[in-house]
Amino acid sequence: MAVKNDGASSKKSFLPRKPNFSIPARREEKLALKLLLPTLLIIGIIAFYPLAHVFYTSFTDRIFAGREETNFIGFDNYRRLLSVHIATLDPVIDETTGEIVVDPETGEVVYERPIDILPREPIRFREVNQFTLFGTRYVVGATDRNFVLAFSNTFIFTVVSVFLELVLGLAIALVVNSKFRFRGPMRAAMLVPWAVITVVSARMWEWMLAPGRAGMFNAFFDWLGVVERPIAFLAISTFQLPAMIAVDVWKTTPFMALLLLAGLQTMPEDIFEAAEIDGASKVRQFFTITLPLLKPAIAVALVFRTLDALRVFDIFQVMLGQSQYSLASYNYFQLVANRNMGLASAIGVLIFFLIFIFAISYIRMLGVQRE
Amino acid sequence: MLKRKWMFGLVLVLIGSMFLAVGCPDPEVEPDPDPDPDEIVLTVAAGAVGIELELTHDLAEMYMDENPDVIVEVIDTPDSATERLSLYLSFFEAQSPEVDIYQIDVIWPGDLAEHFIDLYEYGADEVVDDHFPAIVENNTVDGRLIGIPWFTDAGLLYYRTDLLEEYDLEVPETWDELEEAAQIIQEGERVDNPDFWGYVWQGDAYEGLTTNALEWIDSNDGGTIVSPEGVITINNQNAIDIVNQAAGWVGTISPDGVTTFAEEDARAIWHTGDAAFMRNWPYAFALSASEDSAVTDVFGVGPLPAGLAGTGSATLGGWQLAVSTYSEHPEEAADLALFMANYESQKHRAIEGTMIPTIMDLYEDPDVVEAHPWFEDLFDVFINAVARPSTATAPNYSAVSEAFFTAVHDVLTGEMTAEDAFEELELDIQDVTGLEIE
Repeated sequence: MAVKNDGASSKKSFLPRKPNFSIPARREEKLALKLLLPTLLIIGIIAFYPLAHVFYTSFTDRIFAGREETNFIGFDNYRRLLSVHIATLDPVIDETTGEIVVDPETGEVVYERPIDILPREPIRFREVNQFTLFGTRYVVGATDRNFVLAFSNTFIFTVVSVFLELVLGLAIALVVNSKFRFRGPMRAAMLVPWAVITVVSARMWEWMLAPGRAGMFNAFFDWLGVVERPIAFLAISTFQLPAMIAVDVWKTTPFMALLLLAGLQTMPEDIFEAAEIDGASKVRQFFTITLPLLKPAIAVALVFRTLDALRVFDIFQVMLGQSQYSLASYNYFQLVANRNMGLASAIGVLIFFLIFIFAISYIRMLGVQRE
Repeated sequence: MLKRKWMFGLVLVLIGSMFLAVGCPDPEVEPDPDPDPDEIVLTVAAGAVGIELELTHDLAEMYMDENPDVIVEVIDTPDSATERLSLYLSFFEAQSPEVDIYQIDVIWPGDLAEHFIDLYEYGADEVVDDHFPAIVENNTVDGRLIGIPWFTDAGLLYYRTDLLEEYDLEVPETWDELEEAAQIIQEGERVDNPDFWGYVWQGDAYEGLTTNALEWIDSNDGGTIVSPEGVITINNQNAIDIVNQAAGWVGTISPDGVTTFAEEDARAIWHTGDAAFMRNWPYAFALSASEDSAVTDVFGVGPLPAGLAGTGSATLGGWQLAVSTYSEHPEEAADLALFMANYESQKHRAIEGTMIPTIMDLYEDPDVVEAHPWFEDLFDVFINAVARPSTATAPNYSAVSEAFFTAVHDVLTGEMTAEDAFEELELDIQDVTGLEIE
């Protein structure tokens, strides 16, 4: 009797919530729901409600701390942030000679000015970038130039810094995982940059990058004699992003190393002993044993770091202020300085989706869901 | 079954009590369990730079001595103006009556007018004529006086008297003279000191660059970006010329890094004696005169050099006191605000903290003159200070200023010429404000 009953219920359990569902199991499910209810309620209040509110605000022209009537403006905020226009620039032709004008100083062809080419109605497009493809000159225009630049800054920052952190972090983790004297103090010392508050380390780097011989880097280059004049790393756009990446790599590599070290320590010794006996070289051992076994730890570390890097705010805000933005620091600028709460909310929503896409693709790529 | 229900109930009670614990303030820290019904508590949100906060506390004490039924509480706010604005905005967003009086920046009245009461309705018309007219005008939005001027600020030229004497030079009166003097002194000093620079100022992409560049442009008869009547005037030859000239200073008489400098970066170089000239606000005077400064007795301050306009310009800075519309005691708060900005209060702050007064008579007050003789010399600079176009472009001043300093910064770092930058800039400002272009 008991056996038969069991069989029936296990068959039915593939189709949940059927009336024949065993009574104790249903009771348990009910209790579980009741117990989950408070948690769901709290998550609803502290996570979903604000999120929904931001979504709603992003469709309005709400002014932060303003008393004007708020209007529903549909997708206008998104249109302003995301509109991009690519146009071709023709070379300028001299009216008298009919020839293409060449800059006498640089010897380069002079093209039309983007300001005359890019559309102005209904919203004006501003030049973001120019590039040459198959001999044709193109200009990229955007209605919100700062947003497009903030997006590309954040994207490049994330990809480059996370990649460097992974490579360096893995190397450090392998070193401190091997047995040597003072391994304990070494592991502790490794964590120092991570322990320093970001705003403090950003200030510290600001001083090291100072544009004069007071700055460590300029003093070093000056001593080497490789530069004629001190470089203003934080003012010249070519150096701004690399400086940000350097600070972040310095600061968060220890965190990456720590996560990977935890992964390394769970690996059983005997596999490596067996590999040793079979005559596998250290390199072979690393690629066929260590790396595959480390995959879950790498996945976790990558997800953590990427999501963090996409939201980067503090180092951009402290070191670059309003001369270059990350997505988050541009969001802050729009909200506080411009009080443009609708637009700031739309930026928040776009950051949310960007992070969402990254998270999903990591889970897919690294097969975390099978864990 | 019964047991389960009981447990469920217990969990609910536990969670509920968690909320209660968060929701209710600890009874011990409750300020006054039985407040005197006649007693009024007024809260002032004030700055805390240097000894600023201490001086505000002094005024609070003075007021409480005269008005025993009022308690004045002073809360300090962040030093950075943007951070301070962000704090204020969160109070306004919540329409909070928690703060009665706010210390507001000279560029905010236009943007924040709706959150403050009209001080004319509370007796300000009797005292307003004593203050600098330009600041009163700046604080008046649609005929309403948003804030009573508290202390002012203006850009000044700091110069090294010893070096001018050594190289037999006069204090420069035009930008060309400044360039020349800076060049001569720099070349001479570089022999012994490779870190010496002629002229330091604020060139980072921030509000400070707006104030610096406005001084160049206005002193060269190039207008004030947007005129007080609301016409965009920035794209003119005088403005273009002077900004191109300033771009020429970067890497010649000014460090390459000047495009990352804020006030304190410039002052650091000046303070160690590594600069011949500096543009800065009056706060740097007390610090430069202090014991640990390398320039203690060998510097002077004066008006900034002039361009085509013939006289130099100084951008108007400074702070006002404004009373929140959400205050529960607007009448008493207005009275306190007017008290804190009156003759005696400003005198105390001027003497003790070199806060530049906004009341004209104080520049002739014997006690003030004795303590800070240079106030009197610079009266003309303070009274003629040029306001940023914050009221004409309200509520979009931040966006206008950002577009402006970004354009100027691009010219300074050599990424654009002033011609191209300003052609684009006038369209940017029009996009943001919808105003007419000249």
